[in-house]
Amino acid sequence: MRKLLFSLLFSIGCFIVYGQGTSQDSVWIRDNYYKIEQMIPMRDGIKLFTSVYIPKDTTEQHPILLTRTPYSCAPYGGDKWKDFSSRYIRYYLREGYIVVTQDVRGRWMSEGQFVDVRPFIKDKKSNTDVDEASDTYDAIDWLVKNLPYNNGKVGVFGISYPGFYSTMAAASGHPALKAVSPQAPVTDWFMGDDFHHNGAYLQMDAWAFYSSFGKPRPQPTAVGPSGYDFRSKDSYQWYLQTGALKNVLKLTGDSIAFLTDLYQHPNLDEWWKVRNARVSMYNVKPAMLVVGGLFDAEDCYGAWNLYKAIRSQSPSTNSHLVMGPWYHGEWASNDGTHLGNVQFGSNTSFWYQNTIEIPFFNYYLKGKGAAPNLAAATIFFSGENKWRTFAQWPAAEKKDVSFYLQPDGGLSQALPAAKNNFSEYISDPAHPVPYTEDVHFNRTREYMTDDQRFASRRADVLTFQTPVLTEDLTLAGPVIADLKVSLSSTDADFVVKLIDVFPDDFSYGEEPAMAGRGHDLPKTYPMGGYQMLVHGEVMRGRFRESYEKPVPFKPGKIETVRFAVPDVAHTFKKGHRVMVQVQSSWFPLVDRNPQQFVNIYTCADSDFIKETIHVYHDSGHPSQLILPVLK
Amino acid sequence: MIPYIPIRQFLGVLAVWLPLLCSAQAPNFVKDNFTKKEVYIPMRDGKRLYTVIYSPKDESHPYPFLMERTPYSSGPYGDSVYKGSLGPNAALLQEKYIFVYQDVRGRYMSEGDFEEMTPHKEGKKSGKETDESSDTWDTVDWLLQHVRNNNGRVGIWGISYPGFYASASLPDAHPAIKAVSPQAPVTDEFIGDDANHNGAFFLLDNFDFDNFFDIKRPAPVKNYGGNIFRADIQDAYQFFLDLGPLKNANDSPYFNNQGKIWNEYMGHSTYDAYWRARNIRTHLKNIRPAVLVVGGWFDAEDMFGALRTYEAIERQSPHNDNHIVMGPWTHGGWAAGSWNRFGILDFQQNVNEVYHQIETKFFNYYLKDKDTSDLAEATVFETGANQWKKYSTWPPAEARPVKFYLRAGGRLSTEGKAAAPGARGAGAGSAAFDEYISDPAHPVPYIDGVHGGRDNQYIVTDQRFAAQRPDVLVYQTDVLTRDLRVTGRLKADIFMSASGTDADLVVKVIDVLPEREEGAAGTLPAGYQRLVRADVFRCKFRKSYEKPEPLVPGHATEISFDMNEIAHTFKKGHRIMVQLQSSWFPLVDMNPQTFVNIPTCKKEDFQKATIRVYHDGGHVSGIVLPVLAD
Repeated sequence: MRKLLFSLLFSIGCFIVYGQGTSQDSVWIRDNYYKIEQMIPMRDGIKLFTSVYIPKDTTEQHPILLTRTPYSCAPYGGDKWKDFSSRYIRYYLREGYIVVTQDVRGRWMSEGQFVDVRPFIKDKKSNTDVDEASDTYDAIDWLVKNLPYNNGKVGVFGISYPGFYSTMAAASGHPALKAVSPQAPVTDWFMGDDFHHNGAYLQMDAWAFYSSFGKPRPQPTAVGPSGYDFRSKDSYQWYLQTGALKNVLKLTGDSIAFLTDLYQHPNLDEWWKVRNARVSMYNVKPAMLVVGGLFDAEDCYGAWNLYKAIRSQSPSTNSHLVMGPWYHGEWASNDGTHLGNVQFGSNTSFWYQNTIEIPFFNYYLKGKGAAPNLAAATIFFSGENKWRTFAQWPAAEKKDVSFYLQPDGGLSQALPAAKNNFSEYISDPAHPVPYTEDVHFNRTREYMTDDQRFASRRADVLTFQTPVLTEDLTLAGPVIADLKVSLSSTDADFVVKLIDVFPDDFSYGEEPAMAGRGHDLPKTYPMGGYQMLVHGEVMRGRFRESYEKPVPFKPGKIETVRFAVPDVAHTFKKGHRVMVQVQSSWFPLVDRNPQQFVNIYTCADSDFIKETIHVYHDSGHPSQLILPVLK
Repeated sequence: MIPYIPIRQFLGVLAVWLPLLCSAQAPNFVKDNFTKKEVYIPMRDGKRLYTVIYSPKDESHPYPFLMERTPYSSGPYGDSVYKGSLGPNAALLQEKYIFVYQDVRGRYMSEGDFEEMTPHKEGKKSGKETDESSDTWDTVDWLLQHVRNNNGRVGIWGISYPGFYASASLPDAHPAIKAVSPQAPVTDEFIGDDANHNGAFFLLDNFDFDNFFDIKRPAPVKNYGGNIFRADIQDAYQFFLDLGPLKNANDSPYFNNQGKIWNEYMGHSTYDAYWRARNIRTHLKNIRPAVLVVGGWFDAEDMFGALRTYEAIERQSPHNDNHIVMGPWTHGGWAAGSWNRFGILDFQQNVNEVYHQIETKFFNYYLKDKDTSDLAEATVFETGANQWKKYSTWPPAEARPVKFYLRAGGRLSTEGKAAAPGARGAGAGSAAFDEYISDPAHPVPYIDGVHGGRDNQYIVTDQRFAAQRPDVLVYQTDVLTRDLRVTGRLKADIFMSASGTDADLVVKVIDVLPEREEGAAGTLPAGYQRLVRADVFRCKFRKSYEKPEPLVPGHATEISFDMNEIAHTFKKGHRIMVQLQSSWFPLVDMNPQTFVNIPTCKKEDFQKATIRVYHDGGHVSGIVLPVLAD
């Protein structure tokens, strides 16, 4: 999320591509809008700082578009304006929307206490029972009652953490709220979003984000927290040297309350369960447009699974899902043609803004245009580089097909015939498998499509692949990994990576330039034989039976580790291969498993041990990936 | 896909084009100032060698000859088609010599049969016996008699394979040959140059080079017209992994037994008579011409050849007027007009300016009696410090060998006191060995990233990708509190055991930049593990290159080998790191890790092996660095 903040700031200044705004937009906005700053009172008396851009036009009434954020509605000061000129939100301004941004309770210039992913209170008993839904309710109520020339219709949208606040807005039930778009919404920080995936701690994102974001804010302020000075350019080295998780926390002492709390909750307990935003998604009234990125390293889980929760828990809600080939928040940028070395054939962000989102809000908030002909799910398929629409998601047309790991490194639909057959590797916490090849400090976005050849070259990474495909293979939905494993110790992580192996002679024609590698050759990335990560996921083995009650492995005993890899939408083209890699670390993206059944948040460096891992592929213990094949 | 040009082939191109591209001379300088003539020069056995002679048009005074003998073509062919530039550097071109290029016996337009690294014949008996020394003699003799306006003196230079021909002209040299400069000379292809290092086969280079060089030539040609086979390799690591055992390279669609040299290499997997006959060092005795040996610290092919050719002449011809220049160059980089940086290294000067002055003076002095002979015995560029240094002996006598010991916990230290005997075991901190599993299915890459051919920057690039692997051992010193100047012979002395009967040992010496600070602009990134020197040793040759012996599984044995000279300053704030691993792929072919004849072995012969490196009392592994006082 920190990344997103930076990227949006960056995009304001730097992106000069298709859809670029001009200084004319700035001038037009200044000429046609005015700005007010308002402390809006909540039901418990706490006031939230709100920045409002209002059209000068009084010939018609205007809808309100609200974003609630923990990242500040800066710039502060009635005479200081956001630069909308290079962001697509300028189109909403051209349409005459009242654009409102609010600092959420306890952040920046708002009063009150901040609570991370503040639990939703289903049955509010008094005016002191406040949550983000009630704050949104109160904010909307004030806005529609007090802003001049508003049309009484409110939309809410936001990306990432503001996506969480969008979900909570939808749960507010305010009658003026007509349309909500949670985008890459933070949804469940234990199961799949920023902080954990299947219980494994995403230390790199957590720490980079919260070492500054998580600092206390005793008083309202317009000045943000400073970042932690890592004094390193090499995250692999930094996290390896820093060592056990408890050493990392020592660096900030107890100053980061949320991380201190998080360390107290290694399992999926009540503390986490009330922080699962999905519990609020019943009887949802506004039209919903859930948006996410197939290659969003932070909250791709949130987008897929929030949408699924709305469909199942609130089936009559007018809800839609859009997933494009994007990094975190890229749909709001001016690009969307590629990620890392992988190209998508068109400016998918521009298409989304103009074909989906703007018509969506225009219709529900302005009554402009026909009811959008929006499918339940509009999904971009990488590989074939096409948008497809579906009446439900996962697609009704998909069939789950088992692809079994084979003894010779093969991957096929036939059950392995061999008896007592396995592949093995030694997982060494002193040499964890890197999640990406290049030396860098901040977690890259591009790792989500990176070439995995660097990993194939390691003996602690198992590789299985199909023969060259004779026809296209399209996957549409969640992938289930079902591994039969035995360990020499009592715990292990399992990382499963689904990979598209490009043909040896593959070329885009114009290959992407290689940045910053320090080599003269080659100048462009060699795409022949590219091993494109389609999606990877980690599972902390101790949670294989229950996320609430972890259990150790019995050394040498063959056990099942089964988990879901978030949904994929990808076509493996004819001539490509499907590859699966299995490994037991993904560093430093995911913290190292000590490979012993100890509390990972309190254990010592000396608890980290090597272990031997067997992954079985025999008739009695077939390991498989269950792929959602679209016929 | 960037077309990959085989390096030795590339050299031919480089030598021709770089001076042209980089010098300020007029585009028609050669044509305006020289007359070209192509002749067949008869050798003593009747074979004729194709020779191209560029004579200065200005005949106001006589000129010496400056000759390159090459297997890469003396072309362009035809009286009216001129080379773009002549001679080893632009200043020598301006000086004007009679520049001579000759196709060596059996290559391009010359008659006769080509032989890889033509063995030198001592005491040739019949008048018809030939070698490169006699071919050079006969050529020189003919030139002196037939070319107008010559001053009776001849100089010879050449880079890489032509460097070998320069060396080969030295034994029993024609008395008119006064100055010879073997540059990156191919010298001993089993011990240290292109084909093998310490008996380990340089797969990537050989496969690529022989494909281009080893194509049959039934009769003299101006153009060989292609390679033996087509291989569009985008990912050399994957390609050679998929190729499997070496013998598969001789299948269709690859060499398919069409490569004469390839077959010779495959047929000689020990340091037998074939290789020994091709070690020109043996014959560098009683050398009379002045010699200027040139080599590059970043030459992935023939750095060994340069250093060891100089050494052999010093040792075997102690009265010879012999000099060496070593600079921060890749293979032949000194032939370029300028050389300010390599990869991410910035030398902050055009090092070729200094070098071209040395080279020009050398030939001018011995061939024209011009300039002075103030040439230092050794002129050496010190990397790290980025300074030229001069020495009166090479390696400098004042360098003190200091052993840096591998210690438990990944430490590298000059303190030799090792763990107490009996401390061997797995206990943290007290282990008397470190171990890893070397898996032929997952060899350690020689470089990160995906490359179609050999990326010559591997020799200086960041080794962090390797340090992250469990099959690479890492030892490093504490942060240095003062600059450490290291100049002279580097040695590795490692006690190891393997669970198999053979193994490779790759030793890498690395300069680790400070982790937490950015240096000044132009310096390397924080934490960069800059490779300074690496080499491989095939353990079966630990006692003898002629008679390999299997390792005794699990038994500690000493692997001790020379890693040639270095001249480097490890700066204050840096660390010295040693990495050990048992593959370096596909630069070096994968050792099957069983004691077999590698060129004929099968896939099943390739086995995982557990390698242990010892640092206990009885087996103190380390490297020896030649330390200079400040």
